[in-house]
Amino acid sequence: MRNAPFDGSFIGWRTVARSLLQQGIAPHQVNWRPDGDSMSLFDQSPTAADLDATKPAPRIPRQLLELLESAACFRMEDRWSLLYRILWRVAQGDRAAMLPGDIDGSQLHKRLKAVRREAHHLHAFLRFQPRPENAEGPQLVAWHEPAHDILASASGHFAERLGRTTWLIATPDDGIYWDGHVLHYQRPCPPEWQRLAHTPEDNGQALWLAYYGSTFNPARLNRSALETSLPVRFWKNLPEGPLIPQLMSQARAGVQRDGQAEAVAGRGGKRISRPAHATVSENADPALRH
Amino acid sequence: MQLIEKLTVLADAAKYDASCASSGAPNRSSKGKSGIGSTTGMGICHSFTPDGRCVALLKILLTNFCLYDCQYCVNRRSSDVPRARFTPEEVVTLTLDFYKRNCISGLFLSSGIIRSADYTMEQLIRVAKLLREEHEFRGYIHLKTIPDADPLLIAEAGRYADRLSVNIELPTESSLIRLAPEKQVRTIKQAMHSIHQGEHQAREEKGSPRFAPAGQSTQMIIGADATDDSTILHTAASLYGEYRLRRVYYSAFSPIPQSPNTVPFEAPPLLREHRLYQADFLLRGYGFEVGELLSGPGNLALDIDPKLAWALNNREHFPVDLNRAEPAMIARVPGIGVLSAKRLVALRRQKRIRFEDLTRLRCALEKAKPFIVTQDYHPQQAGSESLLLRQQLSETPAQMALW
Repeated sequence: MRNAPFDGSFIGWRTVARSLLQQGIAPHQVNWRPDGDSMSLFDQSPTAADLDATKPAPRIPRQLLELLESAACFRMEDRWSLLYRILWRVAQGDRAAMLPGDIDGSQLHKRLKAVRREAHHLHAFLRFQPRPENAEGPQLVAWHEPAHDILASASGHFAERLGRTTWLIATPDDGIYWDGHVLHYQRPCPPEWQRLAHTPEDNGQALWLAYYGSTFNPARLNRSALETSLPVRFWKNLPEGPLIPQLMSQARAGVQRDGQAEAVAGRGGKRISRPAHATVSENADPALRH
Repeated sequence: MQLIEKLTVLADAAKYDASCASSGAPNRSSKGKSGIGSTTGMGICHSFTPDGRCVALLKILLTNFCLYDCQYCVNRRSSDVPRARFTPEEVVTLTLDFYKRNCISGLFLSSGIIRSADYTMEQLIRVAKLLREEHEFRGYIHLKTIPDADPLLIAEAGRYADRLSVNIELPTESSLIRLAPEKQVRTIKQAMHSIHQGEHQAREEKGSPRFAPAGQSTQMIIGADATDDSTILHTAASLYGEYRLRRVYYSAFSPIPQSPNTVPFEAPPLLREHRLYQADFLLRGYGFEVGELLSGPGNLALDIDPKLAWALNNREHFPVDLNRAEPAMIARVPGIGVLSAKRLVALRRQKRIRFEDLTRLRCALEKAKPFIVTQDYHPQQAGSESLLLRQQLSETPAQMALW
């Protein structure tokens, strides 16, 4: 068994993997050590300097490297062995290792899918909280708890989305700050960022909650569809999270059998008189009520 | 009336429109620019309500005052609902605020008919224009098109909106006459035609302004009248064909407060709606024809999905040998989708397909088993009667019906 310590990053892993591949070290002989500091006297840890320039570099499809880099974001006890095994097999000419139908490839694609999904969850379920206009620092802040290491690779989306608006996202592990021009990524997340991300809710939140409650159709209550699409683990960081069980129990208790939101049902209604002829009387035009 | 009260009323008034797509827009970015908003073609569902429907856009009416008396609509003039009206500026403020919070990817704006069709359409356009021009908003905008509005107004709407939609409302003309006396199939289709023309022009003529790049969609209400699924699907197929619609939405009729006697007061037929979406997907993505899914008048089966129903009625095509069959035929196997079919074809270039490969591809094996052959597998049930198979594969066991 051969210890392969590295700094835990994909770049670090790639350097070591390239060297091991060149030396013909098979996957079952490698013990990946992402903690990096466990190097003992007897470890022969390959580095970039160990690369033998006289031997041809292993030829790998570029697409595979992209897949491996993305799959490396998948959090689990040992995320690196599978990646090296696939790299090894493809370098040996066994390209099936990259395919979803393969025994290793299916694992790879399962991880890729989970990582893509988690990046999508970031784009979808993260909520920014505006900070007071005169406050120093980012205009928008957010706290998010992703299940995989996607913050660095997936946050560029918000720079496209929000233009010059400055924002900050903090997670339990890392953080990212957009100053209007450049992204600043930090791992671990500075405590100051984490504190900022927990800025209390402002009044504007009430409008969103009113919308959420009203756009829900109680006649169509469907808890399982909700939980499939919006996993329960995200509820606690969503402003509408606490509303969900409340709306569900109201709907289940049969408060109303039609689709109307409770907040609307409680208000007085207004019928509109039939227009006299084709040209509609101005009385029917609510613009005049302003 | 306070903004929050208006929002409460006008979101409730808008929710019966099923469309929530924020996909299909071109790539737009605000990086390094003033203004906000981006689109990538892929839609984002920012939340889901307890009905399982996604929240992608701020879906509201500009006003729920309405001169029409469509029986299925909660906002019909004879309905005793609270009424409200936003100013265009209020809609703009709400859209930008929700957008910054990352609650939505854009706006879906519709309206009750006030004063006239043209006037109403102008008001909708004004909101979109304010967002795009004054606030440099690059997010998604979906505008409802008022059928009788001037084609010039529709052309203007297409310059600001990513998507336009005109609702066909009901699957047949006779139902429309009965339940929506002020609406006419002729003008609805004229509006669809105007949008289709606009799209065509923007695509064919270089330098012409952009026009609704995410195309047009429509909605049909299911279960407010007695129309069967066969008629509904034929109507949908003809709309897809004639106007190149991106989507037809099927909206199970939800009972509304103070329901008139002309429409049912029952729980919305959600499973029927689901089967229609499945059938619609087979029409758009799998090359099925309506006649294959339903050979005559009638409804889709509720206990099995439409692809399985087709396979059970067409056993002569099965079992399909996954190592030899055309990709399109593999995608017709129940339990195997278009994506899995593509993956199987890629895999069989490397090796012979075995049964365990299907497990890894996460195909719905229980459904697929009777219909496939792999290198190491031949279905025992290949000779089973379709009726027996149906009993085994049905999603609602016959026993349940006794309850």
